Amino acid sequence: MNVKRLAEMALLTAVALIIFIIELRIPALVPIPGVKLGLANIITVYAIFRLGPRDTLLILIARILLGAAFAGSVMSLLFSAAGGLLCWLVMLFMRRIVTQKQIWVCSIAGAAAHNTGQMLVTAAVYRTVGLFIYFPALLLAGIAAGLFTGICAQLLVGRLRLGER
Amino acid sequence: MIKTRTWIFITAVCAALLAVLSAALLSSRGEGTVVEILQDGTVIEEIDLSRVTSRYSFTVTWGGKEPGSNTILVQPGAICVSDADCPDRICVSQGWLTNQAAPVVCMPHRLIIRLKSPSGVDAVSQ
Repeated sequence: MNVKRLAEMALLTAVALIIFIIELRIPALVPIPGVKLGLANIITVYAIFRLGPRDTLLILIARILLGAAFAGSVMSLLFSAAGGLLCWLVMLFMRRIVTQKQIWVCSIAGAAAHNTGQMLVTAAVYRTVGLFIYFPALLLAGIAAGLFTGICAQLLVGRLRLGER
Repeated sequence: MIKTRTWIFITAVCAALLAVLSAALLSSRGEGTVVEILQDGTVIEEIDLSRVTSRYSFTVTWGGKEPGSNTILVQPGAICVSDADCPDRICVSQGWLTNQAAPVVCMPHRLIIRLKSPSGVDAVSQ
């Protein structure tokens, strides 16, 4: 891994972490447990399209670990790790079937995957299936959030050209 | 490659279906008047809301990784979380639970308040 690449990834990790921490300060928009805007996903989507699978995973893991350390929450680590990994997998697949003008689709699919991972971990942690009553609402919020972050990421991919030499 | 118009259509259809489904689920009514309060998957309290005669409140503390407490307010026919020191306070904003099937949840303190299902279909596994 060359130094330029490393610096670029460190920069993206830092930006993702800052976005993540700022978002912690935004109060919950809807009274449904688990609903989040997930703004840090903008960086993940950008990285998927610009850097490739391995580097995206490294940025994602670094952001999740550091984010949990800053938020001081072990529970949220479990949720974001499960959601993040599933999101990464689905976006890797989606990346192959969408064009540069359809990055938002990839983001929505990733957000829905994130919610699914989150939901599965929640069911395991609480040892109950009753919370699945919130799942469709969670997915709906995921579509809206994914669309927003996806459009942001699409603009970013089109304009920001880090690491091109 | 799939056209952008097709993607928009797929997204809109999915969103519409989810909206209908979640509206139906979140407004659905549960059976009975007994609520149970679960902490970390274990029932810690059972209250029959139809037998409550006066308004009272009590505090449930959670001593896990993210310790804190929730104040639970009970009145005839209804129960809610009136105060909590969790970061998002979603449990407080969820409001009163009377007869809806959707539970009141505090994720950070692993607290669930829900109607006890008489048939036991939705019971906690193990």
